[in-house]
This record gives sequence, structure tokens and C-alpha cells, in this order.
Amino acid sequence: MKTYEYDQSAAWFQRAAKVIPCGVYGHFSPAPCVPITHYPFYTARAEGSKFWDVDGNEFIDYMCAYGPMILGYRNPIVDEAFQAQLKVADTSSTASPVMVELAEFMVDLIPVADWAFFAKNGADITNYAVTVARAATGRRKVIAVADEYHGSSPWMQEAGHHGVMDADHVDVIRVPWNDATALEQAFARHEGQVAAFIATPYHTPVFTDNALPAEGYWAQAEAVVRKNGAVLIVDDVRCGFRIDMGGSNEYFGFKPDLICFCKTIANGYPISALVGTDALRTDCAKVFHTGSFWFAAGCMAAALACMKEMKRIDAPKLTMEKGQKLVDGLVDIAKGHGYNLKVTGAPSMPYLRTTDDESLMFHQKLCGESTRRGAFFSSHHNWFLSCAHTDHDIQRTWDIFEDAFKAVLR
Amino acid sequence: MDTNLIKAHINLFAVLQNLEDLVKLDDQSAQMARTWDLSIQFSVMGGPSAHVIFKDGACTHGIGKYAAASIKLLFTSPAHLNAMFDGKGTPIPLKGFSKLGFLSRDFAKLTGRLSYFLRPEEAKNPSDDYSRISTVLLFHTAFFAVGELVQLDTVSRKVVACIPDGTLQVEILPDGPAVFLDFHDGKARVAKGYTDKPIAVMSFRDFGVANVLLTGQLDGFLGLAEGKVMIRGLIPFISNVNLILDRVKAFLS
Repeated sequence: MKTYEYDQSAAWFQRAAKVIPCGVYGHFSPAPCVPITHYPFYTARAEGSKFWDVDGNEFIDYMCAYGPMILGYRNPIVDEAFQAQLKVADTSSTASPVMVELAEFMVDLIPVADWAFFAKNGADITNYAVTVARAATGRRKVIAVADEYHGSSPWMQEAGHHGVMDADHVDVIRVPWNDATALEQAFARHEGQVAAFIATPYHTPVFTDNALPAEGYWAQAEAVVRKNGAVLIVDDVRCGFRIDMGGSNEYFGFKPDLICFCKTIANGYPISALVGTDALRTDCAKVFHTGSFWFAAGCMAAALACMKEMKRIDAPKLTMEKGQKLVDGLVDIAKGHGYNLKVTGAPSMPYLRTTDDESLMFHQKLCGESTRRGAFFSSHHNWFLSCAHTDHDIQRTWDIFEDAFKAVLR
Repeated sequence: MDTNLIKAHINLFAVLQNLEDLVKLDDQSAQMARTWDLSIQFSVMGGPSAHVIFKDGACTHGIGKYAAASIKLLFTSPAHLNAMFDGKGTPIPLKGFSKLGFLSRDFAKLTGRLSYFLRPEEAKNPSDDYSRISTVLLFHTAFFAVGELVQLDTVSRKVVACIPDGTLQVEILPDGPAVFLDFHDGKARVAKGYTDKPIAVMSFRDFGVANVLLTGQLDGFLGLAEGKVMIRGLIPFISNVNLILDRVKAFLS
């Protein structure tokens, strides 16, 4: 099987390095792509389940822009809604009616939601949710799960990271995932001081197996939060609408006070949303939080169209089925070579790891060899399935994986 | 933790150990130490101790006191020791009074040579040999200093709490030098050479790359993307060690 070269990606990177700090920053940084020589850095175009890099290499995309792409790149329904709104008004001097329509749709769609608030990125909303919880309770501390990511704001980064001060962590308490007792103890240690417990619906760290909630965990956690008069915030930025159209909490059977959505809600157009219960409506109204482009109507029209389409085709069910089919085949291929490929998390966003090498070096080689044959795999982060992935894509991916395995073992 | 105490640990355990390599790699230093047959103990009251032994043209660095040391130097505080490493302080000799001339003349020349290689920013038109020796010494200084910060620096201790047990291999390609950092229960043991089963590996493509990285002329992320630095294995392990590595400069004289 032909393997890819990345001369143009490298050339663009050299240009970037002169004018952009570290060339490509944040979660798109090539740093975790191992070996780096096997990965593209720049996309020229994207369509459906695929993207083509600046060298003309074609990839079946299992990162889906790190989550936002759910219906397929350049989905005509979403793109047309966006374009139609652009023709009449996008960023202007007052809010757009489509904002009201979008909020109405989300309130109807999501059982917990009595209202919706819009911003641009996940961190806009997680920060806002915590601020609302503090306003509502008059307390300052926040409990979060160890190794969970809620954006790159200093209060959510680990100690020692550049620009992060000790003071940023003073009010953040970390507890282990799936440990309701530890949560209860944290509340007890800081009695009357905790504003909120923020967590993802299930545990999605990087470089580590993902973990679904243990039986009864969320029921216990919710009870602990209620008993202590704190606010329960679910960060559904990554999982949202790949597990349940009503919010991932519906799938896992609990009721948060606030839910943060972002990635999938507009199939790649920049918008995020916080939804919440009536009890927090007034506090939400009192907290001042805004941004220059938060009222851009085009993205709201795109979000409305995207959510309607996700609901119509039952995107969570579809991506769960496609993901299950994909990983079942990959596990069988690995088994055929005498290796154990462990799959954790929801099938619509699986985390895969070859357990035969705890250092991940073998798995990194496998993902790198797959990527340079056309299946864009991350070795450190959960993958994402989209509704646009076809049976043909999956079959092609299995063929690539088989060839990659042979290359690594050769 | 007291900054002076951290600096003292770094001076004794990360900087001083470079004398081993200096007399191997630098002809002038080798010539100076060729006939030396003596040992020097450095001890801080209520603080760390280290020693160096010169014999048969080689230098051996050791942690702790050395009972048979021919010269014993006492420092009343970590700040006192650090002042000597900065060329501004004089130790209190406890043993070897007859060798004070050696200390102020011969040994000072050798440590001057060490400073010369550890301060590449001050070198004018450095030769390839200079750069190579400087890089080896900076490389060892940096990673041995990480081992000290892991024990003593509050922020580094928080960072290391996120590191699982295991060993990080760091190497300059193609033939070394190399060090490995073995993390266990929040402590790090640093040693020169290679380990059998690292859980993460960071490789510098060549001496030139190692040099620009260690002297802060190349951003690590850029180095990775350009293929000058290669990493594999548990990347968070490397990221966290690099956070500590970035703190070393603040504690070096």
C-alpha cells in the first residue's frame, strides 16, 4: 500500500514558524502526533468523512476536527442554512431572531433545559457555568475530576504550566473519577464552600483508557451535590449529541443543573451553548458574560439546521453503530496478529490502545502507519465517528489497518 | 522551599558533576588534572554535601561527605556555597590547609574552564569542539538539575505528582550522550547512559539541536514539528519533565 509524503505540509510549517508561535498551537499542535513524520499538518479541503492535506493526500478522518464534524464536512443542509443567514445578516448591532428559534429548539430538545445561552467555544461556556454557580450559591470552590479537561483557562490547567499561578488553583478541588465517596469527602472537607461539581458525562482523558460511569455513580454523585446545595454542571462539550440527543446525562440517567455544549452543535461552525434549569435562570441573567462575535447569526442558523438534522437521523445512534462496527473489525485484525486492541468509551467516540505495550510506542507506530496510508488516527486522544462515515470507509480503514499492522511487524 | 537551598543542591549535584566529563573531553582540563591525586569535600552546615576525587587523570563525583577527602571545605549556609559557585565567596577550609594554594590557583582554573563551557552565550566564535563539550555539560546539568527540583521545588513537586512511575530516556543522536530519569513515588533518580525499558523517549537529532534547545534558542514545539526533536511513548511524561526542565534556568547561577 502506498504511503504518504508531506513535503507541502512541512513547507507551510516552515512559513508558519516565522509568524505564528510554535507554528501550530493548542490541540492542533503536531507535538502528540508520533511519529511526527507520518502526520499531515495542513488541510487543503474536506468533504463528507474525508479531508485532503496540502500534499493532496486523502484521509478518512477519525478525528472529525477533534469532534465538531458530526454530519460530514460541507454538509449541504448546514452550509445552506449558514449561507442563507449570511445573505440577510450575520454580526450586526442587535440580536437575530434565529437566536430565539435556536434557544426554543434546544429547550424543546433537551429535557433539562429551560433556557439556553450562546457563546463561541467550550471554555466560554464552562467558565460561564462556574461563574453562574458561584453567583447562585455565593460560594467560591469548584470540585472537578482529576485529569478532566474543561478548556485551557488557567484554573483548569495543571500546576506548573507556563503562566499558571498557584492562586489559579486555590479554589479548584480534584477528585478521582467514579468515586462518589471521594466526592462526598471533598464536600465535607470544604463544607459550605463548594459552588459546583463539574464533570464530563464519562471520563475522557488523553493517553489513558476512557471510563464510563460505574453502576450508580451518577445517582450517588447527583445526590451528594444536592445534599450540599451545590450546582451540578455537566461538560458535554466533547460527548454532546454523540451519545444522546437530549444530552449525555439522559443516556446515563441523571439530571444536572447546567449542561455545556459546543463541538457538534453546528457541524463545525463556531458556537457553544449553556443550557440550564429554571432555578438558575435569574442568576444566569445577572452574570455578565459576552464576546464580540457571540451574537453572529450565521452560526446560530447553522446550529439550528445541524441539530434538526441530527435529531431527524438520530445522529447518536448512527455514530454509535458505525463506531461499534469500525472497532469490532479493528479488534479482530489486531487479534489476528496476536495483539490486544482495547476499546474504551462510547463507540461513537472510542479510545483505542494496544495493551501489549504500556509505553504506547507500539500503538503510536500503528496509528502513524495507518495515518500515512489514509486513515487519520490519533494515538493519544479518543477518536470521533460521524454520520458521514460509510461502510466503504470502514472497509477501507480495515484494509489500511491490516497493512499498517504488517508494516509495524515487518 | 528556600531558593538558596535549591541552588546549592543544583550546584553540588548538577553543576559539580560536570568535572567528570570536563577532564575527559577538554584537553586543557585534562592536562591540568593529569597528575592530581587528591579529593575535595564540599559541605554545607545543615545542608547537602558532595565531593570530587581526582586520580590518574580522571575525576569522580560523589554525593555526600567523603571521610578520606584531602581537602574539606565548609560553607555556613547554602547562600555561602552559592556565592563560591558565583565566584564571590570563600569557603572555610576544615582540612588541607597546605593545599589552599592548589584551591585558589589550580582548582580555580579548572572551575573557570567549567564556567567557560557552561556559559556559551559569552563565547566568541565558538569552535565545533567548544560547542560539543558545552552541549554535553549543559545537557547533563539540565537533567541532573531536574532530579534536584523534583525533590525540592514546590511547583516541580506538584508537576511530578502527575507523572506515573517509570523511566524517561533522553539522548543526543546518534551516539549519545544520554541520561535517564527514573521516577518512583514522586522521586527521580538521574543517571548517565541508557535504560532497557523506558516508558518515554526524547531524542535530539544531533548536538546542534541539543545545543539550541538547551540554550533556549529553539522552542521545543517547533523542534518537534520540524523533526529535530523526536518523542515517543507516554508523551505526558515528557511534557511534565519539560515543565520542570523549563524551571531549571531560574535556579542556575
